[in-house]
Amino acid sequence: MKKFQIKNWLVKSLGVLLVIIMAISCNKDVPEATPIAPAPITGISIGTIISTDPSFTILKAAVTKAGLLPLLSDSTLNMTLFAPDDAAFTASGITLPAISVLRAGFLDTVLRYHLVSQRLPSSAIGATFPNRQSPTFLNPAPALSALLRLTNFPTTRNGGWINNIPLKQVDIVASNGFIHKVAAIVAPPQRYLWDRINTDPDLTYLKAAIVRADSGVVATAPGSLVGALNNIGANLTVFAPKDSSMRAFLTGAITLALINQGVPPATAVATATALASTPAVFSNPALYAALPAQSVKGIVVYHILGQRAFTNNFPTTATAYPTLLNGAVPTHPGVTLQAIFGIPGVPFAAAATVKGIGNASASKLIINLPPVSDPAGSNDQHFLNGVLHKIDQVLLPQ
Amino acid sequence: MKKLGRLAASLLLTLVSTIVFAQNPVISGKVNAVTGDNINRISVTIKGTKIGTTTDDNGNYSLPVPSSVTFPVTLIFSGVGVISKELTVASASQNNDVSVNISTTMADEIVVSATRTQTKALESPVTIERVGLNTIRTAPSANYYDIVGNMKGVDLVTSSLTFKTVTTRGFNGSGNTRFNQIVDGMDNQAPGLNFSVGSVIGLTELDVESMELLPGASSALYGPGGMNGTLLVNSKNPFKYQGFSFQVKEGAMHTDSKYRPTSLYNNWSMRWGQKVSEKFAFKITAEFVHAKDWLADDQRNYIRPTAANGKKIGEIAPGTRSTDPNYNGANAYGDETTADIRPFLLGIGAQAPFLQPFVNSLVAGGAINVSRTGYEEGQVVDPNTVNFKLGGSLNYKLNPGLELIVGGFWGSGNTVYTGSDRYSLKDLKMGQYKVELNSKNWLLRAYTTQENAGQSYNLTAASRIFNEKWKPTVTFAANGSPNPQTTDWLVQYSQAYLGGKLNGLSDINAHNAARGVADVGRPEVGSAIYNQIYENVRKTPISKGGALFLDKSDLYAVEGQWNLSDYTKNVADILVGGNFRSFVLNSQGTLFIDTAGPISINEFGAYVQASRNILGDKVRLTLSGRYDKNENFKGRVTPRATAVIKVAKNNNIRLSYQTAYRFPSTQQQYIRLGVGGGETLIGGLPVFYQIYNFAGNPPIDLPIGSGTPKISTFNEFKPESVQSIELGYKGLLANDRLLVDAYGYIGQYTNFIVRRAVGQKINTSLGYEPSNLRILSIPVNSTGKVKTYGAGLGLEYRIGKGFFLNFNGSTDVLNGVSDNLIAYFNSPKYRYNFIVGNNALGKNKRVGVNVTYRWQDSFMYESDFVSGVVPAYHSVDAQVTYKFPAIKSLVGIGANNLLNQYYITALGNPSIGGLYYVRFAYNIF
Repeated sequence: MKKFQIKNWLVKSLGVLLVIIMAISCNKDVPEATPIAPAPITGISIGTIISTDPSFTILKAAVTKAGLLPLLSDSTLNMTLFAPDDAAFTASGITLPAISVLRAGFLDTVLRYHLVSQRLPSSAIGATFPNRQSPTFLNPAPALSALLRLTNFPTTRNGGWINNIPLKQVDIVASNGFIHKVAAIVAPPQRYLWDRINTDPDLTYLKAAIVRADSGVVATAPGSLVGALNNIGANLTVFAPKDSSMRAFLTGAITLALINQGVPPATAVATATALASTPAVFSNPALYAALPAQSVKGIVVYHILGQRAFTNNFPTTATAYPTLLNGAVPTHPGVTLQAIFGIPGVPFAAAATVKGIGNASASKLIINLPPVSDPAGSNDQHFLNGVLHKIDQVLLPQ
Repeated sequence: MKKLGRLAASLLLTLVSTIVFAQNPVISGKVNAVTGDNINRISVTIKGTKIGTTTDDNGNYSLPVPSSVTFPVTLIFSGVGVISKELTVASASQNNDVSVNISTTMADEIVVSATRTQTKALESPVTIERVGLNTIRTAPSANYYDIVGNMKGVDLVTSSLTFKTVTTRGFNGSGNTRFNQIVDGMDNQAPGLNFSVGSVIGLTELDVESMELLPGASSALYGPGGMNGTLLVNSKNPFKYQGFSFQVKEGAMHTDSKYRPTSLYNNWSMRWGQKVSEKFAFKITAEFVHAKDWLADDQRNYIRPTAANGKKIGEIAPGTRSTDPNYNGANAYGDETTADIRPFLLGIGAQAPFLQPFVNSLVAGGAINVSRTGYEEGQVVDPNTVNFKLGGSLNYKLNPGLELIVGGFWGSGNTVYTGSDRYSLKDLKMGQYKVELNSKNWLLRAYTTQENAGQSYNLTAASRIFNEKWKPTVTFAANGSPNPQTTDWLVQYSQAYLGGKLNGLSDINAHNAARGVADVGRPEVGSAIYNQIYENVRKTPISKGGALFLDKSDLYAVEGQWNLSDYTKNVADILVGGNFRSFVLNSQGTLFIDTAGPISINEFGAYVQASRNILGDKVRLTLSGRYDKNENFKGRVTPRATAVIKVAKNNNIRLSYQTAYRFPSTQQQYIRLGVGGGETLIGGLPVFYQIYNFAGNPPIDLPIGSGTPKISTFNEFKPESVQSIELGYKGLLANDRLLVDAYGYIGQYTNFIVRRAVGQKINTSLGYEPSNLRILSIPVNSTGKVKTYGAGLGLEYRIGKGFFLNFNGSTDVLNGVSDNLIAYFNSPKYRYNFIVGNNALGKNKRVGVNVTYRWQDSFMYESDFVSGVVPAYHSVDAQVTYKFPAIKSLVGIGANNLLNQYYITALGNPSIGGLYYVRFAYNIF
């Protein structure tokens, strides 16, 4: 009987032991998937900075009116703001009271052009040629494509620039990106290169040359210069010879052709001067042999770069760059660009030149100081699809 | 229906009994138990014949003696766990009330599989575990197959409620091919799909008489395959087990609704065994299981090995669908399709030059891989597990010592299986049919396995193809090169991603927004369009761009055994045997390279075993040897030598040297199957070198290291083999109340078969860039040796008053694997089970209580599907039964995983929760 009790006790205690084992240990079921934590957000947003920094009172008012403050304050986004401070607004002729007069939509457009879709510290902007092409938050035709963007062109070459506007201060760090202060408002381009060339009274020869170069090619066909100058996807720099330089060039070229045909020099000069006195020289059938479309095109494309080159982005020592002529003649040495800085207190280039291989001397860019924007200016005229500089000499490719 | 069956049974019984009584004398009596322990049915047979019967629940028996038997006859009273008794009946007139007293002991358990002859378990020369009728009847498990999982040294991978894979001594995995399962003498490995069908198809619970488990190498007697062990399941002979019986288990699963709503578990089984005359008996068995299956819901991110990432095996990683654009959920399907969107971004940049610098800055950071949006397992697989089994046999005694058996099992059902991917086995059908001649000293058996994969499909493939059907990832031109369209998922994704980035979105937000755009129109699960596309994919054969298997592979086998001991016993007991097998692989190119027609594989083997007692019967030596030859591989001899040393009565030490080897499985020979990660599994036979033009387009070793790619070389593909030495002790201690079984072993594997990934050029004119490589996974022999060792201890203690307490614990360790090898060892270092119970509780000993507790350690699970750590787990099973002897019935209530604590047995496999059932059983033996 006693023995049985011991066994009974044994069984009971084993039972208790089992219960304890069960109670203290739990199975681990399949662990939940662990999310990858997003990088922690540190610092304050661009929106907060411009709302609190006393040098941004006009910008703050503009941003607020445009309704962009929530976007700039969203710390989950990545952006870079080229921020005009009060001095910059003033320099561009906009005061605080003016903001209340301006349309919100206009402000939205202008401000979005200052806002780049990625984090661009100055180290990422780079100092190489050409300027970095950066898509902004400004989509000119959202209905056409969500991917359409106007681009701006920052660089740290020759100081710091966004398009042709100097950077005053870079790398203000925010939670959602960077702020670089600019010296003036960076106006978004509104027209195409062709719009300017087509209407500028001092570029009538260039226009006629382009039309002649395109003869037989419709504007929508590939290779059409007018098409490219009207295409938002293009990215060009046009060195636009003023009418006087074109006239001089044509007079010389026609004179030479006439002399070669045996015309006495004096007559040749007089005839050539008369022929070249209007842009109609390019559409004069009598000169088709002297000015074949192919040669005209060769000259025209030698004046166009496939990149956007603001003068501030020109090298300070003369350097060769390819032109659109290299599309047909890949080994062509291109043109030589050079900018000269050095006016005390002025960030802009004092002078800039472009030299063709066949030219004895470099063509000078007609520089406005202080800069003047399209349509009145002559250098760094910014368009949707490129930049235009007027020059004083036709560039000769050979 | 049941009533009708019972009625028919009793009518027939009455009829037959009347005839028998009229013709023959009948010996009847009662078997009394001398101890308080419960006695199972005792079998009563006439010595030297196969004539016999069993006692009923009250110990009564009656045995008609055919006229062919002449008195005096000797009756043998025997049973599981009882001391056999013999009693002589002098004449037919002495027939009444032949009663014996019998006591139960653990000393006399008989096992067959250890030597293919009847041997006392205590004197078995190798480790053996046996599960008898009583355990099957009282074990707290919803399915008898689960009992195997609680045996010493056994690992169990549960792929679904009705799909469980067992093994011993390591190298487990769903569909393990190193462990033989033999049911009524028939190997139940599916000839095409290669897994042992286990509980899906085979015996019904009421028809299982015993299960014997031989852990460790056992080829010498059971043929190639039993590298790690052999499980033998034997059914009830209708001459011995008669009458109509049925059992109903009704249960509930998912009671906490964690993975799916609470649902019913139904398990109904019946058996009708009938001896029509002394010469003829038959049985019919059936079982039906219906339930909502356990769900595999591992949502963790999984990084598969690729040519680019240089991983040898996949791994679990942080990340979710919303935080990793290239997320590939372990149990999410369709998200295996992945691509680098950089080419598409650059393409947009080329068309919109003003975006080009921006795009360049995006792609500068390296590959931007994104995966298609996947579906969860519960969304792509039929949640209903259905299993229907039918079986039966016709047994005819040609003479009292020779029985002809014609029998078979057929099963069909839906279940989920984990191989190199998750597979929905839908309407799987498999039948095994045999003709057997069985004499006291010899047997001859012919059987066939007929497999039909039904509507089985690969979840990963089906979901990936489904995604392509509703929206192509990227369109390809007729010449095979990408021809992106704006309607392509990747194109839409890339554009939206770029758009998001242009709006300043963070990377992950841009990805998620892009996914939202690209997934527009993604069919909602269960919608008409979803069902239409999925059904179409599921029902289209793999060879025609769908996910359906068309496997109808078969096995034909003949085997025989002859025990020559009657002639040779003065020298030694000698046993000889042989077998022939022919596989016919028939998948119409959906699983094997049998596009041109079925592939046949023939193999044969023969064995001989000699045993002899020496040193005055103190030591019994057994030598066995086996030769096997497969038409694709060289022949091979596997020897075995064992010694049993009797150190005292009922105390034996056993020592064995065993070898085993395994021909590569039919899949390892002839498979060609694309799997989830984009790689293709191919067979290891040289024919594949020609099919894949290894001479003209040589593959390289993966992962690609630094330096020039190394051209892969292949040695002859050989069978793998294992040599194992085992020392064990089995004995009765503590006044025969404590059975101790202990063993230790070491095993060494040679030519271990592993899969090796190589990369072959897709476009031969390009180089060996990761993007230009198709990954082929080829079975090869490891050149290194793989060593394992382990030990186990089992204790069975009869406490008294019917109480018993069993403990078993074991350890298996992988040792000496070279760094370069993934061995798929997949076994916990430690595991143990406690089983405590009493089946004769209460005043009338009608109450039974059984509790099983299992614990196993955590371990690293390696597989082609998902690899990672399987956490340690424990589970408790319990059952209480109550008997109504008057109506031969039993009611019970039980639980598997009583505490409903979910656990997984392998990565990517379901979380198993509690299953609670009530049970009613009638006339179970």
